[in-house]
Amino acid sequence: MTEASKAVVDEPAATAPPDPREAGTQLRAGLWQTINERYPGSMVTRDTYVPLARHAKPLAEARLVMISSCGVHLTSDRPLDVCHPFGDFGFRRVPSDAAPADLTIHQLKYPHDDADRDINVVFPIERLQEMVREGALGGLTPNFFSFIGYNMDPKRFERTVVHDIAEAVATEEHADVALLVPA
Amino acid sequence: MSVGYLKEAAAAGETEKLLRFVRLHVGDGNEAVGTRELEKSWIEAIRILLREEPVDRDLIDSVMAKDEATLALLYFHLHFYLVRRSGEWIHDGSQ
Repeated sequence: MTEASKAVVDEPAATAPPDPREAGTQLRAGLWQTINERYPGSMVTRDTYVPLARHAKPLAEARLVMISSCGVHLTSDRPLDVCHPFGDFGFRRVPSDAAPADLTIHQLKYPHDDADRDINVVFPIERLQEMVREGALGGLTPNFFSFIGYNMDPKRFERTVVHDIAEAVATEEHADVALLVPA
Repeated sequence: MSVGYLKEAAAAGETEKLLRFVRLHVGDGNEAVGTRELEKSWIEAIRILLREEPVDRDLIDSVMAKDEATLALLYFHLHFYLVRRSGEWIHDGSQ
């Protein structure tokens, strides 16, 4: 167990400062301690709080991007590497007008039998397309983003996948709002 | 177990931590299952070779000339290839 994770596990609850993540609604209470107990030396630290931003415009006028850890990609793309013990530090762009028949799931770490029958279970692309047609959403970015959630190097992951997706969302896709879909 | 944790273990020569990580990885979080999975891939490799079919030595020679990082990752790919071939697939994902 690293010193960082020891600090999280061993810290007396009575004297610990309130954790802003647990004071709000971002994650269920106790999650940090659970992860650090089960995976000693793991990736969760107390300095990773990400403040939420308020909506700048109504959804009916906003352009939405979907970002998911489900590992969905176009059937024509090279699959992400599910065998690498540290995870794949790449991602795939998925056109937001793609049909389910154009997509496939490449994953090792979660069951996707149901998602193979209906991709919307982990990547609700048709639901979002419907919401645009119905006027509930202003539009979709040209591309969505997908990567493999299993990853053992969060710092490198942040420098590569997270940074590159965030930059693409801001400079290429011009999204107003992001839907993050864990899998 | 983060990569940082594993690098610390490797630097300290704590190979059991590295092996535990491999067992957890190939065993989907269960160390005992991972041990069985590692054995299963070797068993499958022997079973295939016992058929005494022709092999492409030229391909092997060219692959072995690659860099060690590529070969190390290939080792993991071959593990999953062999356990898939064994017909006993324990992982949640089906690909």
